[in-house]
Amino acid sequence: MAFIISILAAAVVYAVSILYATIGEIFSQRAGVMNLGLEGIMLMGAVSGYITVVHTHSLALSMLVVIIVGLLLGLLYSFLTVTLKANQIVCGLAILTFGMGLSGFLGKSVSGVSANLKFESYPLPVLSKIPILGDVFFNQDLLVYIMYLIIPLSIFYIYRTKYGMRLRALGENPAALDVEGINVFALRYAYVIFGCIMTTISGAYLSLAYTNFWSEGMTGGRGWIAAALVTFASWKPRAAVWGALLFGGISIIGTNLQIYLPVIPSQFFSMFPYLATIIVLILASGKFKNSKKHTEEPASLCIPYEREGR
Amino acid sequence: MKRVFGVMLAVIMLVASMAGCGGADTNAVEATPNAAGSTVTEAVTTAVEEATSAEPAPVATKDVTGLKIGAITTFVKEDGGWCGAQYKGIVAAMKALNIPEANLIFVENTAEEVTAVTSAIDALAAEGVDIIMGASTGYAPILSELAPKYPNITFAQVGDKTDNLICYQIRDYQAMFLLGATSALVSGKPLLGYSAGMSEASVRRGINSFALGAKYVEPDSKVQVVWANSWYDVDKETQCAKSLIDMGITCIGINASSPAIPQTCEKNGVYCTGYHQDMLSYAPKAVMVSFMWNWEPIFETVFKSVADGTSTKDDYYFWGADKNCATISDFNADIVSTEIADKVKDLQKKIIAGEIEVFGGELKDNKGTVLVNKGEVMSDKDISAQKFLVENAIGEW
Amino acid sequence: MGNMYFRLEKRIRTPLAIRILNPVVFIVLAMGFCGIFITLAGFEPVKVYAKMIKTAFFTSKGLTQTILYSIPLMLCGLGVSISFKMNLNNLGAEGQYAVGAIASFGFVIYGPSMPLSIKLILAILIGIAAGCLWSVLAAIPKALWNVNETIISLMMNYIALLFLDYLCRGPWMNNEGLNLPYSASINKMLYLPNLFGTEINSGIIIAIISAIVIYWFFKKTTSGYQISVIKNSLSAARYAGMNIKKNILLVMGISGALAGMAGVVKIFGITHRLQPSLPGGAGFTGIIIAYLSKFNPLIVIVVSFFIAGLNTGSYSVQISGVPSQIATMIQGAILVFVLAGEFFARNKIIVGRRVSADPLKEGEA
Repeated sequence: MAFIISILAAAVVYAVSILYATIGEIFSQRAGVMNLGLEGIMLMGAVSGYITVVHTHSLALSMLVVIIVGLLLGLLYSFLTVTLKANQIVCGLAILTFGMGLSGFLGKSVSGVSANLKFESYPLPVLSKIPILGDVFFNQDLLVYIMYLIIPLSIFYIYRTKYGMRLRALGENPAALDVEGINVFALRYAYVIFGCIMTTISGAYLSLAYTNFWSEGMTGGRGWIAAALVTFASWKPRAAVWGALLFGGISIIGTNLQIYLPVIPSQFFSMFPYLATIIVLILASGKFKNSKKHTEEPASLCIPYEREGR
Repeated sequence: MKRVFGVMLAVIMLVASMAGCGGADTNAVEATPNAAGSTVTEAVTTAVEEATSAEPAPVATKDVTGLKIGAITTFVKEDGGWCGAQYKGIVAAMKALNIPEANLIFVENTAEEVTAVTSAIDALAAEGVDIIMGASTGYAPILSELAPKYPNITFAQVGDKTDNLICYQIRDYQAMFLLGATSALVSGKPLLGYSAGMSEASVRRGINSFALGAKYVEPDSKVQVVWANSWYDVDKETQCAKSLIDMGITCIGINASSPAIPQTCEKNGVYCTGYHQDMLSYAPKAVMVSFMWNWEPIFETVFKSVADGTSTKDDYYFWGADKNCATISDFNADIVSTEIADKVKDLQKKIIAGEIEVFGGELKDNKGTVLVNKGEVMSDKDISAQKFLVENAIGEW
Repeated sequence: MGNMYFRLEKRIRTPLAIRILNPVVFIVLAMGFCGIFITLAGFEPVKVYAKMIKTAFFTSKGLTQTILYSIPLMLCGLGVSISFKMNLNNLGAEGQYAVGAIASFGFVIYGPSMPLSIKLILAILIGIAAGCLWSVLAAIPKALWNVNETIISLMMNYIALLFLDYLCRGPWMNNEGLNLPYSASINKMLYLPNLFGTEINSGIIIAIISAIVIYWFFKKTTSGYQISVIKNSLSAARYAGMNIKKNILLVMGISGALAGMAGVVKIFGITHRLQPSLPGGAGFTGIIIAYLSKFNPLIVIVVSFFIAGLNTGSYSVQISGVPSQIATMIQGAILVFVLAGEFFARNKIIVGRRVSADPLKEGEA
């Protein structure tokens, strides 16, 4: 039992660490802008947060810096993709390369320096006493608890509010919004920036909560996984939560299976999560015979909005 | 569409026929020309002959303070791990020999791939370096092939003895043995854990010596091995540590550069050893003692011999605890009692004095095969190229 | 001042001079931007750049490495540009590259005994076929059930690379050597021949001829024409009775075949052995190259050459003491600036004096 609890708790932490980026990217993609540069943006978040903590010993201040960095990167990205209408996939790669280089350059001074200050886990008073669930969900750090709030709020926002309806329209049919007199460009800017801020927080989670250090390229590919999860979840925050838990769980179980099934080379266990993503993606979004499944893929994802085109 | 494939096929056939010489298919794959004592293939011997016949080997003496040193690494010198240890070693050796710091050119982020390495070497050669240090084991076969093309530069390479290169490595197993002993003594449980990076001989050597050290002090000790399959992956390393902790293991040996495992151990209230450098500062409540590379003595000797012209391509340094190369950090007094610490220090003295041979007989692997007979000691070649896990290590390599 | 205004006007056709000048200007701007960081690190940007360019393109050794480095990039860039041309986001070139290398090397080991020149041809073809197959696997869900190929092809990279890693550390590891994760070297007779006494292998010819063939395919053949139609309008293509499924598989297949060829050329021309992480990001760089060259196969060759030069030059930058990360940054910055710059190639900025009362509305967007 303790074993299962431990796997679940680890899966929760892993899930939260990518969910910030994934939920941010869901908003961004629902607004019609795909950002594949998450990896580079996460690294920028991780490094800026860690540098600030090392120099100021203040977690609050470092989160502020992380948010500002996300805002700036978001501005840059939306300027490229919304105003200048550049290809979003390539822009993503550009931001990724740039972010990797810049974070490595900035981080040189704090690489190998220990800050010994991070978001410690804090068991919630009553909730953490619940058997099983308490240990899994309510003995975590502050950023995890904030994520518990963000999930229902984002679901509520997207499906239940006027703004959420607009957001969905923004990715489906921006021209219609424009007719109503809503500024498509400003809205897209806002959501892209929101996505980038969430992504930098995701990176900061890595250097300030999940672990407590900085090293060049420490995200190790999770930016790509966060991006993959968006499609995996068919742009639904709720499904993204399950996806992230599943992804984390599978990869942890894979490491455990090494111990119990040593005959199988461990690389094959490492393939697990990626195979699972492919299979679920096909099952979830495939249009099989007779099925009238409605995918939520925003119709104008990756298509820059042009006013003349209306 | 067919036409496209037709044209492409024609091109390929043309190119292949340029390769020509339809020799019989005796062996389509050649063994890489390597490892002292193994067959040296024709390809390399001819290359060496060409190089030597074109230009007699330059035996120029030089004032050691004027030595220009180049180094290539796969990562960055601030990694707080492997590259950092190599960098520190070079700098310390330079300082000891009064070589000005400006004489070191340190090239980072160079992939273990022939075009990348060649570009880096060409750039270093253009600066007129006297010696190039390959600071990652994966450069060995590449540098071995490239070295004859640069007769004015001495190449040194970390790892097993390889043709055309001065090679150096540290008997890390002598220190890992002590870490294993410490873990067994502190844990008091029969099962220990080991979180390993990638399956390479040097890593297996670390696992085996850790297990043997544990067995030496607690004969019933067993070591459960998990692989991260990565040199640096925060998630995988955390998960490996987690899966070991979930088995009820309280002391974990590591071979990883990132502080992720020590921090995971600290969070879960278990202990671990450190690797590459003193990891105490990353997790003061978890790290018992760390293994630290000390390359300085070797590098000092290499630099001196290159400067006075006494170095040869056959030089091979495999130094250990007796030359202060395989060192351990101070013990974490909060975890390791003085009694245990003294016991381990005593073991260290015995290793230095040669009273304990880590890979001495009788030694069996975990499949039951006898590797070393009683009273014998494993050869250096087998030590550095091990392809087994010892009897009390659980896992596959 | 008050009656000045700026207005953007879409160019119907961008003049050739602007198309060439535009990226050059923005590359220079990007270098200027990174110059700020180089100055911060305590070096002189102009000297650093000069050294970089000189090393990469104007020394024989540097040029050799630049060309060698560019060959797999060219093939990946070509592969990616074909799929992107049909709006298929093939992010899987990295994996297709690895699979191509694995298959061709596997044939060398396990294939039947035969004259080596025939063996080389077959190994090359098998590598290409394997890349093609791996890519088609990612395209089948798209063709049959309309599943987004972007993420599937991306995930398949990881699977291919992990498999490559397994082979290099497991069954195919060189047992005679140093116990490093390398396979044994292939027989010298199986090396791709070098060109006229240089160290550049004939893979470059394969790459250039591939580019020409693809150029011709899109310009002159009906299949090529169909693909351009499908890209522009799915419904028009359907109306014209084109088989879209077949074309999706075809395009992804060719795309993967080219990436697979990159793996083959790398093995037989450059490394001569299999090793983990062999592609080293070439598949992703291929996407950047494809886009920068506007999916024009002939321009892919030129752009790959320059990107490779950036890489070769980055070592000389490091030698000057500039941190290695700056080289990565320069690559990223150049991309960002060139992407931004494209806007100005597509649009004309008109500066004029305000005459009428209400021209403001036009000034937006």
